[in-house]
Amino acid sequence: MPLLILLLPSLILLIAVFALPLFRYGWLSFHADSVMTGLVAIPNQGANWQRFIHDARYWQDLIQTLRFAFVSVTAEIVLGLIIALILNQPLRMRALIRSSSLIPWALPTTVMALGWRWIFNTPYGPIDRLMQSGLGQSLNALGEPSIAWITTVYADIWKTTPFVALILLAGLQTIPSDLYEAAKLEGASSWICLRRITIPLLLPYLGLALMFRLAQAFGVFDLVQVMTGGGPASSTESIALYAYWNALRFLDFGYSATIMIGSFLFLSSLILIAWLVITVARNRAAGVYAK
Amino acid sequence: MVSIVIIASSLFGLSVVARQPDHVSILMPAPFADSTAELVKSFNQQNRGRIHLNVIKGPLETEAISDLAISSLLLGDTPFDGLLMDVTWVPKYAKAGWLESLDNYFSNNEVSALASGASEGNHYQGSLLRWPLTADIGLLYWRTDLMDQPPRTPQELESISQKLQSSGRVPYGYVWQGRQYEGLSCVFLEVIDGFGGDWFSAESGQIGLDKPAGLAAAQWLDGLIQRGVSPRAVTNFNESEALQSFKSGQAAFMRNWPYAWAELQKNDSQVKDKIAITTMVAQTGHQPAATLGSWGLSLLKGSAHPESTVEAFKFLTSEESQRYLYSQYGYTPTQKAIFNDQDLLKKHPSLQSIGEALAYARSRPETPVYAQVSDVLQRKLSGTLTGMTSPTAGMQQAEQSTTQVLEAAGAAP
Repeated sequence: MPLLILLLPSLILLIAVFALPLFRYGWLSFHADSVMTGLVAIPNQGANWQRFIHDARYWQDLIQTLRFAFVSVTAEIVLGLIIALILNQPLRMRALIRSSSLIPWALPTTVMALGWRWIFNTPYGPIDRLMQSGLGQSLNALGEPSIAWITTVYADIWKTTPFVALILLAGLQTIPSDLYEAAKLEGASSWICLRRITIPLLLPYLGLALMFRLAQAFGVFDLVQVMTGGGPASSTESIALYAYWNALRFLDFGYSATIMIGSFLFLSSLILIAWLVITVARNRAAGVYAK
Repeated sequence: MVSIVIIASSLFGLSVVARQPDHVSILMPAPFADSTAELVKSFNQQNRGRIHLNVIKGPLETEAISDLAISSLLLGDTPFDGLLMDVTWVPKYAKAGWLESLDNYFSNNEVSALASGASEGNHYQGSLLRWPLTADIGLLYWRTDLMDQPPRTPQELESISQKLQSSGRVPYGYVWQGRQYEGLSCVFLEVIDGFGGDWFSAESGQIGLDKPAGLAAAQWLDGLIQRGVSPRAVTNFNESEALQSFKSGQAAFMRNWPYAWAELQKNDSQVKDKIAITTMVAQTGHQPAATLGSWGLSLLKGSAHPESTVEAFKFLTSEESQRYLYSQYGYTPTQKAIFNDQDLLKKHPSLQSIGEALAYARSRPETPVYAQVSDVLQRKLSGTLTGMTSPTAGMQQAEQSTTQVLEAAGAAP
């Protein structure tokens, strides 16, 4: 009983900031609530959901958001690991190098997105200038659907790799150095040390970084809003951007809620599947180990 | 002595209570807040003790200021008395019930003193909801050092451009706003009207995209890029990139708003004293069109001091203020009288061309779901301009999606 009382404050907080909005949005997704209804919620018998299922634009945005999330997070994990390994070495001025590597992460997203928008500008940005003087060809980076999404991925990698590196660096420091010494005595190479000691012991931290980053990348909003506004040809539009426009630009709160809840269900089932796969894999591995 | 102090301070205290001025606040985009700062100061001096006007400086971009205003309006009691509104927001805000009618504050004489064009887009369903501060319109800028006469038809614009480009006088013919954003809708409205079409009529519900004029407009814009009259990068140009390109002498023509004039006459401009303005090109037999992009002041529901707020509106939009805003910042005036002001015309000869173009001002579709309708067009047109779809397919899809959006919103007539 006292345990429950002690848990109550955080429980109330969680319900207030998490469960209530979710419940309200779920309720709203079964109502027409837009500028045309005078911002009054009127039940509409699942019309929002019918529209949602047939909304080709949503499915295009979903694919684009997943593409953005998987490509950028994969690159961030790989680069973050490399950077963490370097920063874990006894370097001269290590404190200075470590803290300065965090600068991209410390910058507000909108500021750095505006910076990248200028850098990738055609024909006034430095990238296009380099392309023109080096290859004699102009690069229409933000005006070409096949390239524009890559620039947003690039900007995201630049910004959030330090965050991944920071988590992994914290993980690296929990690995006792005598493990490496023992391995070295047995004649293990650095590569073997990395594969057999570092990576396995770092797995919980890799999982943590992956979870944080995937959730954030799936909800990408400000970066895209500032850099491309979703264009060209909506090739960089994310789910969050579409939902936001439905709410604040189109004043269609019912449909915006439907997009949110639909995406929530999709993301939760994705996480559930991942969790099941990991659990099964872990149990099997534990079983092998026990034998 | 002590009693004198007490009496004096209590009197002072009383007088403060009696003369508590009405605090009026208006939210404006950052550039407008800056340019009206002097006017606000003199208004507050004139009305000391009666009204205190406070202009809240919002973000720079049009859509960002709308997002901010809407977020605060949704929370109920508005923190602002007035809002400087873009012309396309009026039906949406009116339908949402956020605007107070101005019918009782402005007389018919005042309304009829507005220049044609400036008087558009202020009413919704018969009531006056916005009072114009400046009347922006889309203009065609052309280089007087490269030609004697501006082109009148789309074909002329293209042939003059190609001639100038092949003789090496300019790298590009025509720069405009091709990025996927509201500016692209403004460009398109002028072209489709110039081909004798109509994008969307809110009254009849007619969509004119998948019609001959809509297709011709999309084909022409796409062809400009295909044939190199416009740079490929125009698919990511907004106003400032087009201006930069024209200002550095890279193009013979530019589509932009009146503010560009002052920028082009600065000393760092390569085309200083070599430019003139005219209306957008149109097919023979059709009138040219200039997209209306005006800004105006609206009274928000729930304002504690409606009278004082309107008094501030009248001061900010008075003839004198307009003269000041035009000569200092190039804001297009909204009152007929100013376009006939001989002194001002002598000092600023371009005012005449702006006044003439204002007669061709065209509003974008006046519907509460304008944002959706425009979004669909931008998306599909951007697809065409970047080579994802043909102009025909793009316009077909745009018309279909517009129908769907209107049906889903319950806005189809």
